[in-house]
Amino acid sequence: MPDLESEIRSLIAEIIEREPGEIHPDAKFFEDLGVDSMMALEIMAAMEKKYKIAIPEEKLGQLTTLRETVAVAKQYLEEKEKNA
Amino acid sequence: MLDSQEIQKILPQRPPFLMIDRVLELEPGKKVVAVKNVSYNEEFFAGHFPGRPIMPGVLIIEAMAQAAIVLFYGYKNTEGKKLSYYLGSVKMRFLAPVFPGEQMKITVEPVKLMSRAAIVNAVARVDDKDVARGEIIISMKEIVDE
Repeated sequence: MPDLESEIRSLIAEIIEREPGEIHPDAKFFEDLGVDSMMALEIMAAMEKKYKIAIPEEKLGQLTTLRETVAVAKQYLEEKEKNA
Repeated sequence: MLDSQEIQKILPQRPPFLMIDRVLELEPGKKVVAVKNVSYNEEFFAGHFPGRPIMPGVLIIEAMAQAAIVLFYGYKNTEGKKLSYYLGSVKMRFLAPVFPGEQMKITVEPVKLMSRAAIVNAVARVDDKDVARGEIIISMKEIVDE
């Protein structure tokens, strides 16, 4: 698997208009990076598109840091592989 | 198909800010095709631009967003609920100007629909030629009367 974290970091950086370097794994999206709920939604949709996965709406609240976001993506990527 | 009266049961917007005249196709949560007849009588043509009327791009976006509300309505059945709608994000490319007398056909299809928000792909066409296309995010909130 390619470096999931750096891929998702660039994806998030583009959506929230920040430099990838600013997005530390544990920086809080809402408090530290100025992400709002719409951007979180965009991040989720962008990951779905990029990795061809479906992330349920309830997971939106879990997208709070890069680390958490990568964990969510990983979970659904693994599920996808299992079902392949 | 929905006429203007039926559209007004779904949309909170009213003339002169009702930007779709008719809904030709409605597949709840899947696809909406709506029509906006662009008339010389529209007030904004007086200023946009004097002697050279062009449909403002922002109003094309508004028409798309209103079509997106219809798409969402069919999906969620929001009937009877008082909702207010917000635009969250717009990524749009304008490909050709729209002039008075033309008819815009707006197609919106979901990228992702959620309980209180929707990401949609939107295309506006005049005579089967794309005049604008892009992605819109709308969100909604229930209005609670005091």
